[in-house]
Amino acid sequence: MSGSSKEHIIKSYDDELTRLTGEIVRMGELAVSQLEAAIDVIDRRDERAAQHVVNNDDAIDLLEQEISHDVVRLLALRAPIAGDLRNVFAALRIAADIERIGDYAANVAKRSIPLSMVAPIAPTSGLGYLAELAAAEVREVLIAYRDRDAERAYQVWKDDAELDEAYTGYFRQLLTYMMEDPRNITPCTHLLFMAKNIERIGDHATNIAESIWYQVNGEPLTAQRAKRDFTSNPELTKLGHKQD
Amino acid sequence: MTEPAAAGIHPQSSAASAPLAPTKLQVRDLHFYYNGFHALKGINMDIPEKKVTAIIGPSGCGKSTLLRIFNRIYAIYPKLEAKGEIILDGENILDSSYSMNRLRSKVGMVFQKPVPFPMTIFENVAYGIRHHEKLSRADLDIRVEQALRSAALWDEVKDKLKQSALGLSGGQQQRLCIARGIALKPEVLLLDEPTSALDPIATGRIEQLVEELKNEYTIVIVTHNMQQAARCSDLTAFMYLGELIEFDRTEQIFTKPTKKQTEDYITGRFG
Repeated sequence: MSGSSKEHIIKSYDDELTRLTGEIVRMGELAVSQLEAAIDVIDRRDERAAQHVVNNDDAIDLLEQEISHDVVRLLALRAPIAGDLRNVFAALRIAADIERIGDYAANVAKRSIPLSMVAPIAPTSGLGYLAELAAAEVREVLIAYRDRDAERAYQVWKDDAELDEAYTGYFRQLLTYMMEDPRNITPCTHLLFMAKNIERIGDHATNIAESIWYQVNGEPLTAQRAKRDFTSNPELTKLGHKQD
Repeated sequence: MTEPAAAGIHPQSSAASAPLAPTKLQVRDLHFYYNGFHALKGINMDIPEKKVTAIIGPSGCGKSTLLRIFNRIYAIYPKLEAKGEIILDGENILDSSYSMNRLRSKVGMVFQKPVPFPMTIFENVAYGIRHHEKLSRADLDIRVEQALRSAALWDEVKDKLKQSALGLSGGQQQRLCIARGIALKPEVLLLDEPTSALDPIATGRIEQLVEELKNEYTIVIVTHNMQQAARCSDLTAFMYLGELIEFDRTEQIFTKPTKKQTEDYITGRFG
């Protein structure tokens, strides 16, 4: 049961719930554009623009505070139950996930500053692909949220494996560069952190997918996602060993 | 007391497939007619022992009618007819051979508006006991005190037992009515919107009392207050137009009801 499509007898209750959904979608769009801007400043090696992205994160934090306030107000004044309760509960959780996505995007921009101070290295371009995957995931999960589409959310949840796999591949590539020339270690380490941040954005998108699933179906999305981030495997440092 | 009945009448969710407790009241294919109007249409439900079962639903859904059938109050009015069975401890209470006196001693009822008898606080409680049992004065005193203590009223009235019950506050009067009901040591206690005329503090006291009383009694409460059903019941039944739409654990009903009609009603989308 995904809640009811009927309107509440008290119209302002509907207005408040609609407003909450709008705020979440807006916050999510802001986070996606922050991620895209972060990747853009890496390519352009633009320190000032990077700082601008870092500063913009405050807007996302402010929206999260607004959403938390609205949720507390709704809980106190409307005492939502059943589908309405799941709706409000999911909004609170999703806002927290988007806030983290914003933080990771700002971190990526922040690290682009020291990265732009050293000579460009080839693997930098690979980060863009990871960011594209992550941004697509977040965009898709926001549509699923807006449309209350649990199946679409589930697809995002499954597709995150692709990002994990791309991250593992990128990790391996960076290791190779570092082994080849120790002068690559500093920029590659920055890239590694940035890649990890982007991979974490994907994880938060899957959290959002889980919240949508719960909101619509009233039960948790319990199946275990195939985890394909193998970078924690010590064997990986032995290059040439095949990861399965 | 009867063994749990067949599945399907028990609360519906898979999480609740195991009965909460043995069934105290089995309602089987219950129909009720007011002057030919079909007010209850084939109700089947198992009310578990020593639990609180809330019945909710919009006005006219039949919830109070159902409650009133549990102690056959309808029998005092002509042209009212119940068909089906309500099994209490293995016996059909709707059967004409089931004596009204016996039923009333087993199934107590408290109404929306507290109606104390125009007599002393003591006599309000003692009246029913005397009607059913012959007790010595000392034993009667003990029984009255027990009932008032169980109804969480003793400390407030112990020094004025000889005063008129009409001088009590609304909340105290309602607890006096509960004391009057439990003085007969019933097994089932029916509460028909017991707090709708009370302020939040008096309501809180009654709800706390319900929580304590369920250790000894099977309680069925009809309420219009959704939050009250959520706060004090173990099971919730949603009725609409004389039918039982959904009957499940309260937690289930208020987080994930299975029927759209239930969801619409409890979230304020009805009509």
